[in-house]
Amino acid sequence: SASAPGPSRNCILVSHRQKGNPLLKHIRNVRWAFADIVCDYMLGQSSCALYLSLRYHLLHPDYLYFRIRELQKKFKLSVVLCHVDVEDVVKPLLEVTKTALLHDCTLLCGWSLEECGRYLETIKVYENKPADLIQGQMDMDYLSRLNHALTTVRHVNKTDVVTLGSTFGSLSHVMDASMEDLARCPGIGERKVKRLYDTFHEPFKRVV
Amino acid sequence: MVQFHQHIISDLLNEPNGGLVVLSTGLGLPKLISALLSLHDPAQGSLLLLSASSSQRSEIILNHPEISEITSELPAHHRLSLYTSGRVFFITARILIVDLLTSRLPTTSVAGIVVLNAHSLSDTSTEAFIVRILRSSNRSLYVRAFSDSPQSMVSGFAKSERILKCLGLRKLHLWPRFQVYVSQDLERNPPEVIDVRVPMTPHMLGIQKSVIEVMDACLKEMRKTNKVDVEDLTVENGLFKSFDEIVRRQLDPIWHTLGKRTKQLVSDLKTLRKLLDYLSRYDAVTYLKYLDSLRASESFRSVWVFAESSFKIFELAKKRVYSFGRKRKLDNRNSDGNDSRATANNGVVLEETLEAPPKWKVLREILTEIQEERQKQAMVREDSLGGGKDHNGIILVACKDEHTCLQLQDFINNGQHKVMQEEWEKYLLGKVELQALPKCNKNKQKAPKGFGILNGIIPSNSGQRAEVTSISKQENDALLAAAHDIIKDAKRNSEVDGVSEGHDRGRKAQLKKKKSVINESDFEPETGIRSVDLPSKSKDKTNVSHKLYSHESGTESMNKEVLRKHSQNSENTNEFPSVYFHALESDQVILDILQPSFIIVYHPSLAFVREIEIYKAENPSRELKVYFLFYEDSTEVQKFEASVRRENGAFESLIRQKSLMLIPVAQEDNFQGSNSSFETQSIIAQNLITRKAGGRKEAGKEMQVIVDMREFMSSLPNVLDQKGIRIIPVTLEVGDYILSPLICVERKSVQDLFISFSSGRLYHQVEMMSRYYKIPVLLIEFSQDKSFSFQSASDIGDDVTPTSIISKLSLLVLHFPRLRIVWSRSLHATAEIFSTLKANQDEPDEVKAIRVGVPSEEGIIGNDIRAENYNTSAVEFLRRLPGVTDSNYRSIMDGCSSLAELALLPIEKLTELMGGHKAANTLRDFLDAKFPTLL
Repeated sequence: SASAPGPSRNCILVSHRQKGNPLLKHIRNVRWAFADIVCDYMLGQSSCALYLSLRYHLLHPDYLYFRIRELQKKFKLSVVLCHVDVEDVVKPLLEVTKTALLHDCTLLCGWSLEECGRYLETIKVYENKPADLIQGQMDMDYLSRLNHALTTVRHVNKTDVVTLGSTFGSLSHVMDASMEDLARCPGIGERKVKRLYDTFHEPFKRVV
Repeated sequence: MVQFHQHIISDLLNEPNGGLVVLSTGLGLPKLISALLSLHDPAQGSLLLLSASSSQRSEIILNHPEISEITSELPAHHRLSLYTSGRVFFITARILIVDLLTSRLPTTSVAGIVVLNAHSLSDTSTEAFIVRILRSSNRSLYVRAFSDSPQSMVSGFAKSERILKCLGLRKLHLWPRFQVYVSQDLERNPPEVIDVRVPMTPHMLGIQKSVIEVMDACLKEMRKTNKVDVEDLTVENGLFKSFDEIVRRQLDPIWHTLGKRTKQLVSDLKTLRKLLDYLSRYDAVTYLKYLDSLRASESFRSVWVFAESSFKIFELAKKRVYSFGRKRKLDNRNSDGNDSRATANNGVVLEETLEAPPKWKVLREILTEIQEERQKQAMVREDSLGGGKDHNGIILVACKDEHTCLQLQDFINNGQHKVMQEEWEKYLLGKVELQALPKCNKNKQKAPKGFGILNGIIPSNSGQRAEVTSISKQENDALLAAAHDIIKDAKRNSEVDGVSEGHDRGRKAQLKKKKSVINESDFEPETGIRSVDLPSKSKDKTNVSHKLYSHESGTESMNKEVLRKHSQNSENTNEFPSVYFHALESDQVILDILQPSFIIVYHPSLAFVREIEIYKAENPSRELKVYFLFYEDSTEVQKFEASVRRENGAFESLIRQKSLMLIPVAQEDNFQGSNSSFETQSIIAQNLITRKAGGRKEAGKEMQVIVDMREFMSSLPNVLDQKGIRIIPVTLEVGDYILSPLICVERKSVQDLFISFSSGRLYHQVEMMSRYYKIPVLLIEFSQDKSFSFQSASDIGDDVTPTSIISKLSLLVLHFPRLRIVWSRSLHATAEIFSTLKANQDEPDEVKAIRVGVPSEEGIIGNDIRAENYNTSAVEFLRRLPGVTDSNYRSIMDGCSSLAELALLPIEKLTELMGGHKAANTLRDFLDAKFPTLL
């Protein structure tokens, strides 16, 4: 933080245009500072955000287009942060969606200033974070993994997983169980039995 | 055939356009439809049966074995020839709509369609889509829709009217049980009914009282939230599944704004309802076991688990099974005989109470009574030598689930003590087995009895158990010791009779050898016939009665043969001959096949009562005596009576709705317009006026969207079609909707979004879309009836947390800066957005879209529907197992046919299939890992 660009490295730069936006109150987890920038919020070296309230859009339908044009595609990620603050959203949101999509901007919607603020914070905080979080890693303990697998069968819930596990002792025994053994488990009705049994015994590839 | 069925049919036939029939539950809907189908004339064209449930289907097929089913497995040209054959078919809405859209089905070859379960329709459902397309080019088409669930017909605003509209119908026929014709028919020769009220044991009453108390407390809490209409929140409503619906319908629009506590309350109420239900259905030990699992799985957030009355539930449930106390001395350890065996352990006493369900005793009494009566009659008949044809003496015991069937059979054969003792031993062994350390199960023993696994070794220090606080350690130890005793006994027995173990081993070997062998000796899910001469343990016989006919064999003679076999079989073992047990849950026709003279309704069910009435009305000469077993003062009775009231109420409101209904006369004409391209083209034309010459090129073309086959489960294709966009159904490997050569859309409902974020599926899908399309789009579609937001402001919290949906979306956006996100309020808004986005784009190319993302070695997938070619839930299951990755799951699927087979594969084979020792070990270990202890 001692380097020359100093604050710009790890804080959100906010355009002077945003002065007085109550949204700024809700940026608390990250530092921010006013700066002379073309976008509303600079969230990193190549990502920026424009803030748009739907109510404002209804009054000035062209505003968003001109703002996006100013950006001149200088950023890798340009977010249009849309604050949904009107009741009847369908039409204005359609216009905003179209403008953003056709001009290479990513649209994010927030329903409160807190939510909008949180998006800005999160994008800044996660600037260099790897994607593991959304790549499907989960709890590694046995029961979670068992839940994860068995609940793919429709309507099988966590209680059923415990029942199945404790009745048969191990997953391989569950997978190999006969229909009647499955039916003997409390809480597992006819349909669940059939679904479970089919999942385990029907071949992966159906023969045509 | 009962007379009022004839009335219904003649009413329907009078209306060339078709009609919607709503009748009371259990009034023989499948029979009615079978009769209607017999009148079908192939010269008019074919008749398609939509959305029949599997039990309805099998019952109809029983009467009409010639009806076949059109599935996507049939090649396209084959399907075409079937469509034009003029016969009757079952078909799923998904295949039908795809064939209609690809013009594989000539609309004129269809005479009419019959829609079952009409209560689940809405104007956005695929059935409505089908009717619209068919009607647009086939004016003479008739649509006959049926529902036997009047309650569901009145949920929501003017539901019946909307259903009529979406099917283009004008006539609503109501046939409640209290309708004159119906009641006349059914009450002409009513069966002899004996109502038996069985008192519950004090413990059961106590549990019931406590559950209701907790329920009441939860309901009060709900009312405090001020989010729900108070009127519907009664304990009586709480007894029904539909209660969830009532609550959900009110809460869904604001679901994402609710606090955790309210959400928890909703799920708690569901759990409590189950507890009440199971109280009258399960025996004491099974009930306790269920409670144990519940306690282990229920999250700490549950409100009810910590309520004071809940403590009572657990206490009483335990007392029904065993009592536990500290006694100084144990003089009379075995003096109290067989009924309670006591185990001493450090001055701690575990005494088995093993309370049997009171209904058991009554059931036995009734059976004895019937037996005596039958003998008396037999004597009379011998005297008269009259035809005993109308009295075959078969007794049918109807209970709710298979579990009870098996148990009752066991009870009748072996007596109450033995059954309870077995359940108890199983319970104890279950506990002990879970104590054992993982990996001691190398030799893959299928051992419900637990031989070999423990061999008397109980881990002496109970480190694992220490964390458990709910049961005291001593109690725990006593339970384990008791279990230990049983194991010793069992071992002694098994030494004595080594035959049984050998038999067991034999079975195991069979299982290992081949799958086909498994199929033979285990359950046959398709046919349902259990052949008698198989090597069978005693329990094999128990299943006989309720799976006794096959779906394929519609022939009477076959059924008779099966029946005869089984009755012989049961006579061998049974002190009461020809007693059959039937699980109501299995939804199968039993009365017409068995033709019982005595029916004991062990668990009351409104639908089954009606079935008995119909059966009796159809066979007026046959003597029939019906016993109802109710627990006195129980919620069971309350529930039964309430279900009658609810149904009547539903019909009354339907009758009122019918009188006020506004249906335009020229409904068919509406249908003409809505689909034809006139309207669409005029819209396009209007738009074009304002545009420059660039648009003129497209003037003659209609908009097209390529849609993945799997998306036909949703209503969006229907709504797109309503907007005049042409739908091209194909199988897509990447994306759900292709709007243009550049735009590819992955559609997620809010719920899907959360799920596919956590499974990592979304990341993968977006990755693929970004790889192949210039403008990859994630469409987040909210439901019209639910709130348009993820969460309330108060739920957002103070910090950036990795679990929040905001964090996940932000991360997705950061990693895929080219991804465009579309937020849609509803289905209709989505359709609007699609047509806007397409406006200046070229039309998508079907052939190219299909090829995108398909691995080259699988390039020949062609036109088949993926979901029909794969056992999707099994594939998904497989992919979630540890060690299985995106790169090796295909080879696993090539190497073994099913999950059951996978469970038995040796490690070497796994290593070969999974391409690595490490992955194979991970998988094998996970499969064989001992399930952790519950204690």
